[in-house]
Amino acid sequence: MRALRFVGIRLVGMLVVLLIVVFCTYVVFYLVPTDPAQQSCGRPCTPQNLAIAREFMGFDVPWWQQFLTFLGGIVAGRTFGSGATAIHCPAPCFGYSFQQNATVLDLIGERIPVTFSLALGAALLWLVIGVATGVLAALRRGRPLDRALMVASVAGVSAPTYLVGLLGILVFGFTLDMVPVNGYVPLTESPVDWAWHLVLPWLVLAFVHAATYLRLTRSQMLDALGEDYIRTARAKGLRESTVVGKHALRNALLPVVTLFGIELGSLLGGVVITERVFGMPGLGGLLIDAVHQHDLPLLLGCTLFSAFIVVLANVVVDLCYGVLDPRARLT
Amino acid sequence: MRRRNLLRGLALVTAAASAVALAGCNANARNTASTQTQTATTGGTLYILSDAATQNYDPAKSANLATTSLALVHRRLTAWNVAPGQPAAVVPDLTTDTGKPSDDGRTWTYTLREGLKFSDGTPIRSQDVKWGVERSFAPAFTGGGLGYHKTLLVGGADYRGPFEGQRLASIETPDERTLVFHLARPYGDWPWIVSTPAFAPVPEGKGAEADYSEHPVASGPYQLAEYQKGVRAKLTRNPNWDKNTDSVRSALPDEVVFQLGQDTTVISQRLVADSGDDRFAFGASFVSPAQLAQLQNNASAKQRVVTSKSGALAYLALNTQKGPLADPKVRQAFQYAVDKSAYQIASAGSAQLAGDIATTLITEGIPGREQYDLYPTQPTGDPDRAKQLLAEAGYPNGLDNLDFVVANTNNLPEKAQAVQASLARAGIKTNIRSIDRDAYDAEVTGNQVNYDLTLSSWQPDFPSANANLQPLFASSEIGNGGYNLSRYRNPEVDQLIERAQSTVDPTEAGRQWAEIDKKIQQDSPVVPLIYTRNSFLHGSKVANFFIADFPAYPNYLQIGVTP
Repeated sequence: MRALRFVGIRLVGMLVVLLIVVFCTYVVFYLVPTDPAQQSCGRPCTPQNLAIAREFMGFDVPWWQQFLTFLGGIVAGRTFGSGATAIHCPAPCFGYSFQQNATVLDLIGERIPVTFSLALGAALLWLVIGVATGVLAALRRGRPLDRALMVASVAGVSAPTYLVGLLGILVFGFTLDMVPVNGYVPLTESPVDWAWHLVLPWLVLAFVHAATYLRLTRSQMLDALGEDYIRTARAKGLRESTVVGKHALRNALLPVVTLFGIELGSLLGGVVITERVFGMPGLGGLLIDAVHQHDLPLLLGCTLFSAFIVVLANVVVDLCYGVLDPRARLT
Repeated sequence: MRRRNLLRGLALVTAAASAVALAGCNANARNTASTQTQTATTGGTLYILSDAATQNYDPAKSANLATTSLALVHRRLTAWNVAPGQPAAVVPDLTTDTGKPSDDGRTWTYTLREGLKFSDGTPIRSQDVKWGVERSFAPAFTGGGLGYHKTLLVGGADYRGPFEGQRLASIETPDERTLVFHLARPYGDWPWIVSTPAFAPVPEGKGAEADYSEHPVASGPYQLAEYQKGVRAKLTRNPNWDKNTDSVRSALPDEVVFQLGQDTTVISQRLVADSGDDRFAFGASFVSPAQLAQLQNNASAKQRVVTSKSGALAYLALNTQKGPLADPKVRQAFQYAVDKSAYQIASAGSAQLAGDIATTLITEGIPGREQYDLYPTQPTGDPDRAKQLLAEAGYPNGLDNLDFVVANTNNLPEKAQAVQASLARAGIKTNIRSIDRDAYDAEVTGNQVNYDLTLSSWQPDFPSANANLQPLFASSEIGNGGYNLSRYRNPEVDQLIERAQSTVDPTEAGRQWAEIDKKIQQDSPVVPLIYTRNSFLHGSKVANFFIADFPAYPNYLQIGVTP
């Protein structure tokens, strides 16, 4: 019962957060001196052409009215224009991109596999590498391996993804000619090519992110290994792998899981720079194009989706606490 | 012992990641030929690497030049004949000539060539061209296209497209090959106007759907075979295109593939590496000055950079409606005060890469252009002469606190600093206000402005002096989204512009435009700075890659590849 109530409260909270995100995006967009209809006005942009574009796109009414129409479209769908050229956006309509001639939902749907492939693969890689090296460094504290890993982690934390991506392309793509540097092959088309094209972006993201996990896991492990219950576990004659894996690591992982949830959520909303560098048509690129082209419906859709994923990831993290830490379980 | 095993296991996991990277070889096929051959052959695939996410093939919504991507798929009534070393010329495309004027240039008659077909095999008729033009008026298709015809055609101002049941009476189609356009006023540049995208044929009754750009009916040598948003557009041959009817398209490659949404730095990196398919590719975006500097150390890549001889006019606009700048003598002082060589350095690091110093408003490669310099001085300027002019105008102590607004993109703040420093030598003190590009556009093209000075550049939409001068200096273009950034208003110039626009004889019109150029510059509303050069990089197997005097972009219609 408590668990159901908890989930219910979180879901309502999610909706409120998403509503606030949409509202804020609308307000911010209308605060900047930009007219989205200007992009569809043509050249020369006569006042008459501008008025026609505004009317067709639904930008000829006050912002709050547009906001309410947007919310209404989610429930009932929307139609732009009339007659033979009318554009229908079926419910749930999260907007229509006039620049890309498609509903926002379709555009996001097309990009999700790319971003998810990129983010999930990289996240798995960096979690395994980060936690493994973090445990290694903690177990070899003060030794050359620990020092080497800490130096590498500083490089990983400090290096911008863009720079690491370009260096990766230069070294592994052009100089060593080991991996493809560009493009995305759908998993359904060829699983091998899918993975092959993702290897370099995965490694780049993993390098940048694993460094944080290495440092976090190391410090958490050092704290945990110094605790009394570890000494007790060893005194009981437990195997070292059980002591480290079951007792120390499990406790050390709580903050790691929190960070992982938030980072993965952000990444699923769009791996902006990595996607751009490797020419991958993901959600990040969609968001960037929406900003550049003043495509408000697309911008709203992408922001809303990213917010949804981040909020969802937080809920999943909360639920994971229960698995890792019996004290956090709901009964 | 147990602990050692655990450590070994963890080490193995860590090593696995690097093993993935080391597993493969020859992922990107190596380039074996480093020398560039210049003669293209028929066949092969040409790759175009673009940073744009979308590629629009709807003629109603396109502002494409007549020599780039849209013209591979769609023909128009007329086309541009461009080549290095000669001004651009208007030539027939779908038509037998560039138009027969009558009624003092108010009526223009065109005859379509015989045997023209769409990619679906149906004949191209005058009704299809009329439909295409009418379609560009529909509110659903106003998106971003060139619309110079909309105010020129009789009844165009109130027309809302053919989908609401109304047709535009000012376009007559007496038979399947004849088109007659009735204009609201005489217009000598109409042959150029019918080279804009809206004058591509669309089969009558078709094209109501918003995504027509993704499955257009082609009239050019290629048809859109595949379009993946944000990923790629693949063009294959249109079997119903007849080369004998087309004098401007070589159509050498069998396929043209646009790779979309690419990072510009990565495009340069790929083209420098020149491996695999990238040998048959070129970048659609400019090579930045920083990248150009890097390429100087790479002999192979340096050889594959093509730089335009000229390009857009970069200029300093002086707000002629504000404070001391309302006085022409004060504005003339700016012509001497600005150090144009410093502007070149700030633009691209060297005069060679930046472009030649500009003294005229009509850009190079435009028919009728006359070279002149009303304010001859050294490239570094003449601060003393500027001070003298300011003193004569009643400002012996120079000018203070001029608001100098620029967009924060394209290196403009640095360029503004170079101009600011040179103006300061003549006692003109400015405050640079660097703002977001959108905010900038809204401010300088709006109705309420506060700036005194601004930096901008302009490349005409079609190769006529009309397209150089009218958008920047006609009083009708002040505010309301217009580009008359110097807010220049001279009734005499307005009359001269209208007269030149009405002149049908291109030679006479050219003479008049050259006069207007000088007339405007006597009032000094802008300081011409440079004719900005554009540089492009291509792979070693790309041939026939040239940039004409106008426009400062490669001619996509002639580019081919070598085996």
